[in-house]
Amino acid sequence: MHFIIDKNHLFLAIQHVSKAVSSKTTIPILTGIKLEVDKHGVTLTGSDSDITIQMFIPVTENDKEIIQIFEEGKIVLPKYIIDIVKKLPSNEIEFKINDQLIVYIKSGSSEFRLNVFDAEEYPVIPQVNQEYVLNIQSELLKTIIKQTLFAVSTVESRPILTGVLWQLENNSLKFIATDSHRLAIREVKVETDTDLTFNNIVVPGKSLNELNKILPDEQMIVQIIFTENQLLIKLGHILFLSRLLDGTYPDISRIIPNKETTKIILETKKIFEAIERASLISKDVKNNVVKLIIKDDSLLEINSISSEMGKVTEQVEIKELEGELIKISFNSKYTLDALRTIDSEEIIIEFTGALSPFIIKPADHEKMLHLILPIRT
Amino acid sequence: MMDTSKKVIFLVDMESFYASVEIASNPNLIGKAVVVCGDPEKRHGITLAASPEAKKAGVKTAMPVWQVKNLCPDASFVKPNMQKYIDASLQITEILMQFTDQVEVFSIDEQFMDVTNSQALFGYPKQIAKLVQEKIWDGIGVRARVGIGGNKIQAKMACDRFAKRNKEGIYELTLQNYKEMTAPLVIDDLFGVGHRMKRNLERIGIYTIGDLAKRPLEELKRRWGVNGHVLWLNAQGIDYSPVTNDSTQEQKGVGNSITLPRDYKNEEEIKIVLLELTEEVCRRARLIKKMGRTVHLYVKGADFNHPTGFNRQVTLPVPSNDTMEVYQQIWKLFKRFWDRESVRSVGVSLTQLEDAEQVQLSFFSHSLQREQLGAVMDEIRERYGKTAIFRASSLMPSSMLFDRATKIGGHEA
Repeated sequence: MHFIIDKNHLFLAIQHVSKAVSSKTTIPILTGIKLEVDKHGVTLTGSDSDITIQMFIPVTENDKEIIQIFEEGKIVLPKYIIDIVKKLPSNEIEFKINDQLIVYIKSGSSEFRLNVFDAEEYPVIPQVNQEYVLNIQSELLKTIIKQTLFAVSTVESRPILTGVLWQLENNSLKFIATDSHRLAIREVKVETDTDLTFNNIVVPGKSLNELNKILPDEQMIVQIIFTENQLLIKLGHILFLSRLLDGTYPDISRIIPNKETTKIILETKKIFEAIERASLISKDVKNNVVKLIIKDDSLLEINSISSEMGKVTEQVEIKELEGELIKISFNSKYTLDALRTIDSEEIIIEFTGALSPFIIKPADHEKMLHLILPIRT
Repeated sequence: MMDTSKKVIFLVDMESFYASVEIASNPNLIGKAVVVCGDPEKRHGITLAASPEAKKAGVKTAMPVWQVKNLCPDASFVKPNMQKYIDASLQITEILMQFTDQVEVFSIDEQFMDVTNSQALFGYPKQIAKLVQEKIWDGIGVRARVGIGGNKIQAKMACDRFAKRNKEGIYELTLQNYKEMTAPLVIDDLFGVGHRMKRNLERIGIYTIGDLAKRPLEELKRRWGVNGHVLWLNAQGIDYSPVTNDSTQEQKGVGNSITLPRDYKNEEEIKIVLLELTEEVCRRARLIKKMGRTVHLYVKGADFNHPTGFNRQVTLPVPSNDTMEVYQQIWKLFKRFWDRESVRSVGVSLTQLEDAEQVQLSFFSHSLQREQLGAVMDEIRERYGKTAIFRASSLMPSSMLFDRATKIGGHEA
């Protein structure tokens, strides 16, 4: 193997793929980054066996030469290659292998001779046979991940809840996440190549977190491909591959209440800020508990009491009220997490009694819904 | 003026406590060799307490009933009445509280008290000790021995090694005479030294408390860490721990265990007892309005020569005090770790307790109805007795519910 490559292109690619590399893996070779050279260019791969990220650097881009290839081959570089590449003095880096397990790296006045892993021992990345394909804007995908990912469970007692459920029907893609105390649903329109439907694809929260870091904030089409147990995302020269979670996601349709007894409309910013201030006290108490009391048809109160710190009372104007007055206690963190994802100026909250979940949704569209279970006091 | 710069600590110990309580409530037993023991028919038929007369004949605590009968054919056997002893112990605490508010219950028949500031009211330490003895004798009819010291270890040693052996039943150790008085005593006379530690200490040439006191602290610390440090301090008569009132301490866990009347061999039998124990543990947790995050199960095998069994725990996803929720985990632990050997005793406990009055509700473990069910069952049992309502499985022959319902700590209430 022998080639010369542009430093910036290589650095960017290493940065992307190393997001999949974990130092905690049980397979030592997975702490490294695989580098393959063929006549089309250089492919880098990082993996922790749950997530795999691959990036391709072509020989030329926009008629500019990025790589000069003298001999093809493959090696697995140690992860700290990222720090070395970053600090190399010249814009051109030369890689050369004579012996199987030693690589020579030359850049300007600098020369490294590094021990590497044997590429033959690197696990085979599962081949994805294209099954279902759908297209979505990168920016939109990033947004809907953010709007649901926060609600996944962080404890392993019910592994399926550590993922986000993806459902597709009539070209409408739905993301659902819950940790069994609160639930977030977000729906968007997408293009699909067929009249594709699925309802039990669960993508690990950890994978979405990594995916979010490499998705660009711009108008760019992302291609999503599913197989029975893998999710593949193609964006430009990057391939993102994740394992799917096994098991059946619980049926959430029966937990969404549909006969509310109280419905209020509030200004998103005002209720958010009131609860945020109340949480300065509630973060001191168990379950971050705050109490919401609807006083009359135009005013509600938020309060929180900590035996050590003291008490806070907030008043928020109600734009519209239908139904009964109510008192309810809930975790301020869950409510703030939900409100933070809503861009609309006004929200609707629907209550069905002090011991039933309440719904928070934007007042101007039906594409998002948050469900929060109260705290019994 | 009394000297209150030095602490005055008492350890008040009841002589042959269970037996004395029995004698006090039954004049026919006065002057007789009284032995309180478990049911002779069952296997916990061992001596729990013996009156001084019985002790003279050679009866010792934990001796099996048949052996007592050989040694002392005239002995009067009494079944234990645990509730009576608990009540008597509480009454004694109340008596001690008349002297000071700093009373620490050390065991059912031993209590520490700090009388440093009571001297102005009741006199010198020995005068107070006498008054304490009189009040307990008048109120309960039990002879109390009082060890007096400048801290808890001095008081404990004064009581165990001297007050119990003199006529007065009172003895005082001070920092000045502590070493001199304890030095000749054999090492297992020191509080905290059991038979295993005795062997260890003898191996390095420590036979008396004096031998231990002379060794450098570093050596003890190096060999036995914190434990070695504590023993060394005990030998010096140094103890910094205050007399603490237990009621201020938070309860850390709720647990129950049971020794089975016979060895249980099949899992259907054990299952029933595990559910009953779990119900009892959860009921007690609900009573103090707590939920636990960790569930423990211990199982002990029947064969003493090949000890088997396990002690395992699991953490719940959300804290609980619901019987069936906890039981599911107990059963999983049992299935996973049981080696299919006969079982002699089992225990269930719930720890990492949290407040149960404020609960974050959950979508998928809909516990509201079950919670109400538990509360109703608890109330029925509270009002009409522990056997007023029970699970149908407790009608099976292996059930221990009806046997346990009349007992406290495994003995007749």
